[in-house]
Amino acid sequence: IGCDHSQNLVDICREKHYQAFVCDALAVPIRSGSCDACISIAVIHHFATAERRVAALQELVRLLRPGGKALIYVWAMEQEYNKKKSKYLRENRISQGKKEEISSDTSVQELLVKQMPDVGNQDSAPSVPSINDFQDRGCNSREVTNFKLPIHTNRTSFHCQDVLVPWHLKENPGKGKPIEPFGPLGSHDPGPVFHRYYHVFCEGEMEAACQTLSNISILQSYYDQGNWCVILQKV
Amino acid sequence: MKLLTHNLLSSHVRGVGPRGFPLRLQATEVRISPVEFNPDFVARMIPKLHLVEVPKEPIQGYEHDERFLRQMHHVLLEVDVLEGTLQCPESGRLFPISRGIPNMLLSDEETET
Repeated sequence: IGCDHSQNLVDICREKHYQAFVCDALAVPIRSGSCDACISIAVIHHFATAERRVAALQELVRLLRPGGKALIYVWAMEQEYNKKKSKYLRENRISQGKKEEISSDTSVQELLVKQMPDVGNQDSAPSVPSINDFQDRGCNSREVTNFKLPIHTNRTSFHCQDVLVPWHLKENPGKGKPIEPFGPLGSHDPGPVFHRYYHVFCEGEMEAACQTLSNISILQSYYDQGNWCVILQKV
Repeated sequence: MKLLTHNLLSSHVRGVGPRGFPLRLQATEVRISPVEFNPDFVARMIPKLHLVEVPKEPIQGYEHDERFLRQMHHVLLEVDVLEGTLQCPESGRLFPISRGIPNMLLSDEETET
């Protein structure tokens, strides 16, 4: 059974004949201890605070029966590891010569994010992050009233753990669905651009977050194509 | 939404806890679709189910009772609720089922901390 906050993504599961429902990963409407295994793939890196990321882990573990296992994948800050670039970096369409020119002047565009008390959870993919959840975290970890997040330049390395990643919705005459999430840099796309919040994880960070839970043991912890991955077991 | 799925779902309204199960199902549109019978899968799912009505005589050796497994298979996997509602038995909160998909999102006030 699958679940996601996005109705549209769940619709796609349904089209493929999978059982799925819409819910919040911090409040999963499944009986405690009923799952032999859970997977959380590219989810937890969308939560904007450390507390919420841990809360998402707690929910995941709540669902497991004792002895049940969970697989967690989150985006890594380190997109190049052991001298190998991840697929995300390698699929950069800009030629090597031009890449430096672009990253020096456009990689730190800042989007002013103000505290807005009545922004509720938005449904649909991709969605604007819940702005009222941001705390004073950023590259500098200073207290700021107007919180700034850098807009990441797609297919380049991360310079900051908390970023907004552009997502180009391409108009496809056949379906109205996006062809690819990362449009080529510098192209003139007619479609809208959405900025999706990510907290990319440093080496060991996901493990440390898991270790705050008292009822699990970490079976494996590894790096896979630009992701930090953990397999844990509920004791 | 298959009935197997329904049996795993529980209301997450704040303060409700284990009293959020089972969700009362009202189906306005149901479809029966054939699903390939996998006796091992059905046998493994049966102990996971929270059955409100338990038969007086427990079925011994149900894992090998093909007729029983086929009946459970039909009920759990071949009945698909396309439209309807799920209701929290404790709070009364209604969750819609639309195009076979339950929407279990709560508002911020309703979410358990």
